[in-house]
Amino acid sequence: MIITYEDIIIKTLTRVLAPFLQLYALYVIAHGHYSPGGGFQGGVILAASFILMVISFGLDMARRRLSEKVDIIFLCLGLLIYSGTGALCLALGGNFLDYRELTKLLPVTIAKARSLGILFVEIGVGFGVMAVMTSLVYDISTGGLPPERR
Amino acid sequence: MEVTVLIQATDEAFKIIEEARNRALDVLNTSVRFTAEAKVLEEKKVQDIFKGAERTKSEVLSFLATFALLFFPFWMPLSGFFDVFHLSIGVGCCALVAYISHDLLFVNVRVGDMRTIVKRFFAYIPWLIYQIYLASVHVIKIVLKPKMPINPRIIRFKTKLQTDISMVTFANSITLTPGTISVDIKEGEYYVHAIDEEVAYDLLYGGEMEDRVAHVYMEAEHVYVQDVLDVARIYGALR
Repeated sequence: MIITYEDIIIKTLTRVLAPFLQLYALYVIAHGHYSPGGGFQGGVILAASFILMVISFGLDMARRRLSEKVDIIFLCLGLLIYSGTGALCLALGGNFLDYRELTKLLPVTIAKARSLGILFVEIGVGFGVMAVMTSLVYDISTGGLPPERR
Repeated sequence: MEVTVLIQATDEAFKIIEEARNRALDVLNTSVRFTAEAKVLEEKKVQDIFKGAERTKSEVLSFLATFALLFFPFWMPLSGFFDVFHLSIGVGCCALVAYISHDLLFVNVRVGDMRTIVKRFFAYIPWLIYQIYLASVHVIKIVLKPKMPINPRIIRFKTKLQTDISMVTFANSITLTPGTISVDIKEGEYYVHAIDEEVAYDLLYGGEMEDRVAHVYMEAEHVYVQDVLDVARIYGALR
């Protein structure tokens, strides 16, 4: 059984901090080619903003913001983007995840196409990691029970 | 016969007076009830205006304000790239985050007050830095004495602040100034750990920091001339 402790300082600071956390996570994902970061790190920070909401507000408010159904959708979306990019390169005639083939779709140079392909894959990884981390915390805090039996 | 008429007349007069008295009592009771309900109704009216506005204009306004607050002071300095590709990624990311979290940042704020609150907040920060400097000098003097005359205690005092943002600002200011740490806020009372008597008495009986924070978030009871000048602009626009 989870005992919640209501603290006004933590609640206010969490709700003010959450948008900045999420934006920082997206910054880390988008600038993986330039500064330390990338998909996994950004995804973890994005999940951390929701986990912070679980800790400060309780599970219900966090579930209102990111329910398990939307979580699973994000997970599948992330996986779809990753393998979809790879399969797209496969369908365009190259190897799996050979981003050179993306020049057939977008009007960019080969180097830029590789960079863009990596960026797409990182975005997919970010969403997937965020979904998995959030669902881990949800499972731990509810004991794995479905919503009807809590 | 005149006596009977007189008695009848006095009886009717008494009845009329009694009825008048009952009516006066009724009016008194209803007026008391109305003044008690009027406050509730007024608060509810303000809240309804709130909710109505929130559904329509304030939502877009808070979305835009969150977007601007995220994009300009946060994404641009972090990113450092100002070419179209990275700027468009920035706009997309900020729009996404503002869409999912725009109702978190600006809660309980009347839209017209935002500018005054921001101005006063930026005027409050130098004073706070000065207080931090004074408090740190005091703590250094205590700590560097060989006897170290500290006398730590936890004090509890009631606060006159009402909104959560102002209470959190006050608690953070207490924690920022060396010598005091705010431990908890329970039921409108602050629990603060103070390092010796002087800082404790400063908080309990001075109260200047609390007044200043109340002034920043426009909760002060006394009226400054500056307050009137600030809201006169809004009232002028409303009229």
